[in-house]
Amino acid sequence: MYQPTEILIERGEEEAPVVQRALAKLPELPVRIVEKNWEQKEARPSGRDPFGAGKRRLFFTRQRARFLEHCPAGTPGLVCCNYLVVSLISNCPMDCSYCFLQEYLANNPILKVFTNSDDLLEEVAQVVDRQPWRQFRIGTGELSDSLALDTLLGFSTDLVPFFAARKNVLLELKTKSDGIDNLLRLESHGRVVVSWSLTPPAIADMEEHGTASFAERLRAAQRIQQAGYKIGFHFDPLIEYPNWETDYRQALEQVFTTVEPRGVAWVSFGSLRITPSLRKVIRQRFPQTRLLSGEQVLCEDGKWRTFQALRVKMYRRLITQLNSLAPLVPVYMCMETAPVWQKVFGRAPGCDKDVARSLTVPNLGHETAPAAFDTQSN
Amino acid sequence: MATRDEQARQIAAYAQRKRVSGTTRARWQAWPGADQAALFSLLQDLQCGENHLKDVLDWLEEIVARDERTIADILERRELRRARATPGSRNDKLKAVKTVLRKIRYPRLTRLEEHVRQAVKALALGRAGQISFPPNFEGDEVTVTLTARNVHELRDGLSRLQQRLDDGRFQRVFDALDEV
Repeated sequence: MYQPTEILIERGEEEAPVVQRALAKLPELPVRIVEKNWEQKEARPSGRDPFGAGKRRLFFTRQRARFLEHCPAGTPGLVCCNYLVVSLISNCPMDCSYCFLQEYLANNPILKVFTNSDDLLEEVAQVVDRQPWRQFRIGTGELSDSLALDTLLGFSTDLVPFFAARKNVLLELKTKSDGIDNLLRLESHGRVVVSWSLTPPAIADMEEHGTASFAERLRAAQRIQQAGYKIGFHFDPLIEYPNWETDYRQALEQVFTTVEPRGVAWVSFGSLRITPSLRKVIRQRFPQTRLLSGEQVLCEDGKWRTFQALRVKMYRRLITQLNSLAPLVPVYMCMETAPVWQKVFGRAPGCDKDVARSLTVPNLGHETAPAAFDTQSN
Repeated sequence: MATRDEQARQIAAYAQRKRVSGTTRARWQAWPGADQAALFSLLQDLQCGENHLKDVLDWLEEIVARDERTIADILERRELRRARATPGSRNDKLKAVKTVLRKIRYPRLTRLEEHVRQAVKALALGRAGQISFPPNFEGDEVTVTLTARNVHELRDGLSRLQQRLDDGRFQRVFDALDEV
């Protein structure tokens, strides 16, 4: 389990349920009560790796801004899937070498937990309950792993019953952990998708520090599926390296020999994308990484990606294989351009809602055909 | 062979002369001694400053991570030695070395560039016709520009374009963009 070096609590939040749950699990740790906006006055963690140091301090505070936001993948020029995100945690106990948080939270790296989850639920209710005709997908895995701290914080016990009671919204819990114990005690009524980000074991072992292994993630996926949850998989980032084809092929095979394709809500693929400044951070924090040695070029949105022809080849190979293993599972690409969609699927979505629609029809038994895109033969 | 101290002094002197930043110099000096020396030797020929040096460092480190070879091994490759021996100015040498290094660093991208270059050359559109591509071949648009000073030249140009469409040479250009 994650072991911070210190717990900090904003004055007035001591009795918040999530604080109480965490203190009960970590009774030995020093606790400090701090004033509101303490982190703005406190000097940034110093030393050689302030970002890494920030992860080891656990700070409970109130979220004073809105919780519900559009997924930042909706960048102009890229096909977007109309995904909404909420964040109860800012920063992540895991430490993947490619993680964008290293840049995004560079000035605010302390691992923050927001105590007012009731405000989050109220905000979501106000949006989704007022539009019962619309289908929403909301995820918690944007600024942190959705489940890495769940054994400690127990947020799933607040979230799952809330979403389970609503018919027009799917909650996605995106993770690289195997922390599913709380979920196994809850009833999702088909409204919660637990999804795993996967890379082949060779990459997971080298680049995804502090995460569950590939095999542990798959075992957790199998158990959660057997418990009645829908599951998903994200091959994102998709990483090009000398043995990518064999390794990803084996990874896909292992996935679909472990879980039942019926009940897989979606699989996504998204090429590794790195801003120039994140590239510098990765070089500094993970000098041994092999991530930067792929054939990446600077794209129009300011991010380095594997050059287009090669990533199209990667998508085609893997999606063709996925279609042969699990032909009815909806598949999409994350943060890709319309020309790449065109080359991979033979057509680009007319609008963002096209992608969203294909993903909100749950892939449960396929009473209705999922609106997946066909893959061009390679 | 220079001692460790001598090598450090040589690198410091080079960095000072070429205005190489402390960060870039520290990166270079973090390498094993044999790799530092191999790059120093190359730089005697190239005499490059901060920006070119950063490209060279990036590419070498990325090749090492991918191929699990040492920098000294890479710099000993025959094609690089040939590039270093390019006759002409220091700029000619620098260009030749960087071209070879980039080819080692991006083997498939440079192969694709070469295939596209050949496919465009095979169009033989002359000076009146130009084909351009988006940066790094991202996207799917190919721009064809036809220049004419009068109706006759325009008719000639269009006729040539039509012929290249009919004989499949244009198709070859589009196909080359996807070949890896």
